Order: sequence, then structure tokens, then C-alpha cells
Amino acid sequence: MSVSKKIVLLGHFGVGKSSLLRRFVENTFSENYVVTIGVHIMKKEVIVSNQKVTLIIWDVEGTDDFTKYRPSYLMGASSFIYVFDASRTVTYNDLKYNLSHLKEKYPLVPVHIIGNKVDLVDKNEVLENLKQQDIQHSYLSSAKTGENVEQLFENVAAQLLENA
Amino acid sequence: MLDTLRESYFKKTTQFIVINREMIVVASDNCLFHMSTGMDITDFHPFFFSLSELFESEEGEAKQKFYCIQFDILGKTYYIDIETHKQNPTELVIVLNNLTDHYKSVHQIKQVRNESIIGFNITQELNKELEVQRGFKNKFLANVSHEIRTPLNSILGFVSVLENTDISKEQLDILSIIKTSSKNLVTILDDLMDISKIEAGKLEIKNRRFNFLEFIETLGKTYKIRAEDKRLELLIEINEKLPRFLVGDHLRINQIVVNLLENAIKYTHQGSISFKVYTNSVNARRIPVTFEVTDTGVGMPKDKLESIFDSFTQLEKKGLFGGSGLGLSIVKQLTHLLDSDLEVNSEEGVGTTFKFTIHMGVSHNQKKEPSKNVVIRHKTKGKGKKPRILLGEDIEVNQMLMMKLFTDHGGYSLDVAKDGERVLKFLDNYHYDLVIMDITMPRMDGLDTTVHIRNHPNKKIAKLPVIALTARSSEEHQQEAKEVGVNAYLTKPIDTDLLFSTVDKYLNRYKRKPKDNEDEEALS
Ligand SMILES: Nc1nc2c(ncn2[C@@H]2O[C@H](COP(=O)(O)OP(=O)(O)O)[C@@H](O)[C@H]2O)c(=O)[nH]1
Ligand SMILES: [Mg+2]
Repeated sequence: MSVSKKIVLLGHFGVGKSSLLRRFVENTFSENYVVTIGVHIMKKEVIVSNQKVTLIIWDVEGTDDFTKYRPSYLMGASSFIYVFDASRTVTYNDLKYNLSHLKEKYPLVPVHIIGNKVDLVDKNEVLENLKQQDIQHSYLSSAKTGENVEQLFENVAAQLLENA
Repeated sequence: MLDTLRESYFKKTTQFIVINREMIVVASDNCLFHMSTGMDITDFHPFFFSLSELFESEEGEAKQKFYCIQFDILGKTYYIDIETHKQNPTELVIVLNNLTDHYKSVHQIKQVRNESIIGFNITQELNKELEVQRGFKNKFLANVSHEIRTPLNSILGFVSVLENTDISKEQLDILSIIKTSSKNLVTILDDLMDISKIEAGKLEIKNRRFNFLEFIETLGKTYKIRAEDKRLELLIEINEKLPRFLVGDHLRINQIVVNLLENAIKYTHQGSISFKVYTNSVNARRIPVTFEVTDTGVGMPKDKLESIFDSFTQLEKKGLFGGSGLGLSIVKQLTHLLDSDLEVNSEEGVGTTFKFTIHMGVSHNQKKEPSKNVVIRHKTKGKGKKPRILLGEDIEVNQMLMMKLFTDHGGYSLDVAKDGERVLKFLDNYHYDLVIMDITMPRMDGLDTTVHIRNHPNKKIAKLPVIALTARSSEEHQQEAKEVGVNAYLTKPIDTDLLFSTVDKYLNRYKRKPKDNEDEEALS
């Protein structure tokens, strides 16, 4: 039987969590913004170092206040993916604060930080901003162009197996 | 009856399912969705994967509630609340509660809210970017204007020098064209500087008491002549209620009115221009003063009226720059800075009226101030020793220009030092009566040098009059210069008459200083 792992997408609303997921699972993208309420769950099987893993990805309703996340949504997660919108600084100005909350409540769950919508911005400028705020991101991605989308999920999966 | 009714309501919203450790459906009432016994519930929806760990937990923990889980089943979206209860160690009861209608209305609200918040964020980001760009642009404008001004000043300076040499009438005509064009360039540069300052919010309004009637009369006289040059009549009407002394920003009002009068003369080819200044108020402290300039010029069609006040930024966007220039846009912005607005009325072929009203304070002292000491001409020619003047100037053409001006004028001896350090050295070694200095100089600039002069242990040197000469004409710069002890501040292009009258004024004052109580008569 293949292993299944729960991954939760976190971050402000409108940063592209649902779009990343749709790009990853269905390889589609829409400019239309449809608000996610509650949680929308999708799964996808990936093969990492010859091993099949079923990723159960929870696309949770976005919020800027991580203390408001319902524990039942985050429960049992093997990984968090923290998505911010590289074109809107408000979505990562409070990143460190939210991270510290996650670290306190879920000390064992690794967090991957993703800057999405890089197609809209000057990458160097974003990198400079992140450096200034001392934010260690894993990937800059674009759900629109597909840039780094597969990579980021595969990277998450690979790390899950290492830890397993 | 009641039971069946209740059941039918109950059925529509709730489904009970029992699963075992292998995630296999053991029982389901299928009220919402069809799940056959024996199927793997995770095949129905990936949500159910997360329930497997509940089998490992204590009974209390196994009772969980998950809100608003989105199910997409056969093209329909459902929002379901899910509760779990542990029946026994091997079985879990799952209760699905269909709250789609409720959550859909929540969805609508959040859709609108989130969209507006994101829209606001994006506007904020754009504004931030614009701010940065604008800052760059203004700095760039200010620097470029300054850079262009320096060579332009030397052109203008040498044109004046050439004018006074022995040249033909034809050459003189050509010179006058060069002069006019260069002066136009200077005006454009001034406009650019003003725009960059207005846009950077750096233009300060300074309200001071001034002789308002005299100001208007002088303006009138100047522009009467200008109008007559074009065979136009300038009619001036000053309302009698206007007090002589008002408190306001005299420089800015002048700038606005001059622009309007220039504009009127430029676009009128026959007829007259009327300049009216009036108030309807007899208040003792603060009155509205209206300025009105009407011409019988070419006028403007309606569609053009809208764009004459376009700011630099707007012009930039449209890719236009030129025509009427920036004057009117600056005037408009200046009136805003003075809490007023510039109104325009125009009819093609009939004429144009510009009008604005500003509120000014009425000075409580309406008496003319005692006339300041009349400038005493320092007639040095043939009176023995010539006054010695030290010039601090690093740019060679400017040095040459000044030397030429002083030689032509006669009556002085001029030495040149090419930076601030040298100025101080010269002062230590020779005797001078006055220092003229460029502000921007290498090694030590004019302001620093002035500070050194003012703190010089030799009292005579410390008290030397210092005239600053610079291409930077802003009030901040003048203020800064005054603070370090500069006596007078002259801007380039050099106005020869003003230069020599200022030099004479301070030469006289300086001479008088040691014997302060001597009266003026004895000096001339
Ligand atoms: N240009 C661009 N737009 C994106 C990208 N990802 C998402 N969007 C848009 O951003 C909006 C919000 O995306 P969504 O995935 O719903 O954000 P979520 O609230 O985090 O799930 C939508 O209009 C998307 O089309 C991206 O990588 N580039
Ligand atoms: Mg979403």
C-alpha cells in the first residue's frame, strides 16, 4: 500500500494557494479569483526515489492571522506550505510572526515558504526584500506560468520521505 | 406523520456512515451521497484519509468536528460539516451535515470582501512604486536643470560681454536672438525646478508683510511697456478698498501674475489686456483678493481648455511636451498651494480670462516703513586706492567672465582663487575689501569658506562682506547661505547692474562699520 501524507497550504487569501494546487494536480490556471472557504482537498500521487506517495493536499481558507486556523484543519499534517504573494508585501510582512506561531504549536512539522506570482514582479527586488526581512524561502513560483510548481511539491514530498 | 416529516427534513441534510480501520464503509444511510458497503471511503473523497489516525487515538480525541469541507461531486459543490465519533476500537461513525446553502452565502460575502481588500493592496503597492519613481524623477529633474544652468549662464554672460564690444548691427541682432533663446531656456529650467519641487512637496509658502499696492503698480508699469512693444493696451484696475500692506507670499503671487500676463501678451495680437485686482471685503484682518487677467487674444476651444493645466506627469503620460509649456500647469499648482484655484474662461477668437482669489492677511501697520538707506554709489574712479575684491570661483569661463565684467566696469581690482582653501590663504596674505564666492567649489565650498571667514581670529577678516554667487536659486539655499553669514546672495546669470550695486553697497557698509556713528553724508 502506498503511503499518504497530509500537506496543508497556508497563507493570506488571494496569494494563489488554490491556483498552485490546481496547477499541480490538474495543470490548469484561471485568472478568475474564486474565494476558498473552509477547506478544499485534492490528492495527487507522486513518485520520489522510486517510492509512491499520495499527497493529500489541504487548501485551507486563507487568513492573515494564523492563530485563527482551526486546529482540525492542521491536525495530522506532515508538512506546511506557507504561500505568500510576491507582488503584495502585506502578504509577507507578517510572515515571521505567523511562523513563530506555527513553530510553537506544531514544532515538528516542517514549513516550506513559497513566494508565488513571480511572473508579476521583478525577482531581484523581491529577493532583496526577503533578504532584508531575513526570510528563508524555498521557492519563488508562478501558478500562472507553472514556474517551480512541480518542483516545490516534489521537494516537499522528498523531504517527507527523508523524515519518514 | 410527524415522524415521517421530521425524517424527510433530517434526511436531506445529514448522512451517517460507519467505517472500519481499513477505511472500508461498513454502513451508510446514503441520505446525501451514495456510498456502497465495502467501498474504500478515501476513494469517495480524499478528506477521509485524515480520519485513519483517529483509530489510534483515545476515544475523546476521536470525537472531532471538521467545518466546511468542500466536496465536488458530479460537478456540484457541497459544503459539509463533518463529525466523528468512535463507536468501538474498530469502528468510527461519521456524520456528514450538508450546509451548502449556508456556506454559499458566507462565500458571497467573503468573495466581495477579499476582492476589495486585495484591490486595495494592489493600489497601495502601485502607489508605493509611483512614489519611488516620482522621487527619482524629481531628483533627476533638479540635477539636470542645475547642470544645464551652469553652461547656460556662461553663454548668457559672454553674450552680454560681446554686446558691449565693437560689433556690427547685424551681429548685434544675432546676439539678441541668442540671448532671447538662452533666456527662454533659463525659464524652462526654472519651470522644471519648480515642478520637481511642487511634486516633491518641497515648495514652501512663506507669508510676509509686503507693500501690495506698490507691487501691483510695479508689475503694471513693467507690463505696460511689454504690451506697448506689441501695440497692445494694458488696462490696470486696482480696487480702492485694497489696503497698501498685506501679508502673503509675495514671490509666489508674483510668479503667478507674471505668468498670466506673459501668457496674455503672447497670445494676443491686437486689442487689449486688462489686469484687475480687487476685493469685496472690508474686513480688518483677512481679505479675499481676486486677480483677473483678460485678453482679446486667440482664445481656446473647449477641448483644449481641459489640457492646458495638465501637470508634467499627465503630459508625460500622453507623450506630449511643449506647446504652451509648463507655465500654466505650474500656475495652477501654485494657486493650489495658496489655497486657491485658477479659473479660466475662454472663447475662440474672442479672448481668455484667468482668475484666482487668494486670502491674505491685512497688516495692522499700514504706514510705509521708513525708507531704507538709499543705495550709496561708491564712486571710486579717480579717488585713489581701488577696492580690492577677491573672487572664489572654480570654473574657468566664469572666472574669465567676472574678470571681464570688472575690467569693463573699472574701479576695482580683482583677484581670483579657484577654491575655498585658496580663498582663505589669499585672505591671510593680502588685504581685501570684499569677497565674492561661488557656492559650489571643490575642496571647500563657499558656505564652509564663509564659516571659516566669520570665525577668523583677525576681526577685520571676520567682518569682510561676502557675496555668494550661484546658479542655485532656491530659497532654501539662500536661507542656508544667510545662516552661515553670507551678506548677499546673487544668482547666475549675473545681472551686471545688480552685481555692481551690491558690491558698492557692501563696500560702503564695510567701510562705515568701524566708525558706526558716522552719518551717511560723510560717506558719499
Ligand atoms: N499573475 C499571477 N496570478 C496568480 C498566480 N497565482 C494565482 N493568481 C491569481 O491570484 C488570484 C488568487 O488566486 P487563488 O489561487 O484563488 O488564491 P488563494 O486565495 O491563495 O487560494 C486569482 O485571480 C489567480 O488567478 C500567479 O502565479 N501569477
Ligand atoms: Mg483559495
